[in-house]
Amino acid sequence: MTRALVVHCHPLDDSLVAAARNRVLAGLDSGGAEVRHTDLYAIGFEPDFTAEDHANHLVAGADPSLANHVADLQWCDMLVLVYPTWWSGQPAMLKGWIDRVWVKGVAWDLPEGANRLRPLLSNVRRIVVVTTHGSSKLVNALEGESGKRTVTRSLRTMCHPFTRTNWLAMYGVDTAPAERRTAFLDRVERRLARLA
Amino acid sequence: MLAAVVLAHPSPDAYCRVLARRAVTGLRAAGHDVELLDLSASGFVTAMSSTERAAYHGDQPIVDPQVAHHADIVRRADALVFVYPTWWSGLPAVLKGWLDRVMVPGVAFVFDDAGKVRPGLGQVRHIIGISTYGSPRSYVRVVNDNGRRILTRAVRLSCGVRARPRWLGLYSIDTSSVGDRDDFAARVEREMAALR
Repeated sequence: MTRALVVHCHPLDDSLVAAARNRVLAGLDSGGAEVRHTDLYAIGFEPDFTAEDHANHLVAGADPSLANHVADLQWCDMLVLVYPTWWSGQPAMLKGWIDRVWVKGVAWDLPEGANRLRPLLSNVRRIVVVTTHGSSKLVNALEGESGKRTVTRSLRTMCHPFTRTNWLAMYGVDTAPAERRTAFLDRVERRLARLA
Repeated sequence: MLAAVVLAHPSPDAYCRVLARRAVTGLRAAGHDVELLDLSASGFVTAMSSTERAAYHGDQPIVDPQVAHHADIVRRADALVFVYPTWWSGLPAVLKGWLDRVMVPGVAFVFDDAGKVRPGLGQVRHIIGISTYGSPRSYVRVVNDNGRRILTRAVRLSCGVRARPRWLGLYSIDTSSVGDRDDFAARVEREMAALR
């Protein structure tokens, strides 16, 4: 059975992203996956990598208060990130979750003398991103799709060598008619049911 | 010329703090006015709140006085200088949050009648990044320098056509010597002193 960790990041419950998250959960459920769900805003996640985090960044293990996040990340074989793309990347809240949870001893190790990180999250075999972009695909291409690269290159590198990535994005949300939103939400649920 | 120097590092004794100081020294030596925005020391809130998100597309997207203060500086700045450590090939969460919260409609860009984004920072002539990297330059190239992309592509699209990006990076910082770091700090000061 697929074990899916859904990480949702949007401050408003009535947003398109929150609706997409609901459809992600529905899709995974109908596909028979076992699901854990983290709603970063709802739980008041503290995104700041603190001076103390920094002082300990070469010591293995995350801050003890983040133990649940670490356990979920090490438990899942499919990671689903649901967020709005702002300034061509992940919102600060989600970047903070990455900075603070994907630390040494959890996502990577740096053996004595090495200058390349060694991946530790070999349990993760698939990363799915569900995201919305305010501007068009062309503008996002000009901006360099940093958020996409952060996931498909940086995060994926710390997972299993054969980890697959799926990118489910809606572009041009700011100017989109209602039927495109509906079509996007339907597509999200269908895809997640199939991937589950 | 007014230069806004945005520093994003949580630690009081961070090397990035030295770099920011040297950048300010160089800019002042060149006769420029400088506003140093030390995000961690000033307690800048990282994540966009639900109130801010709800206000984003309205007439008053800024609700926090500190954000209003920073936005006022950004509107007057001729140079934007970012000093930060690159984490996960990107911006630290607090700096991403600064973009999310300060670079809002009416500051960095405006929505036209068709809902499309139009640049709002026509007066900015320089976008300068000063960053440290744990990884060697070759690895940064492979995974992509997403922080750099966001600043020199996404943010630059909001500036005028005259805006020039400039990048100063210290790579493999964990294996660098004191001499390497001193040389780089001196280079930062020199290049800022030469900015016109």
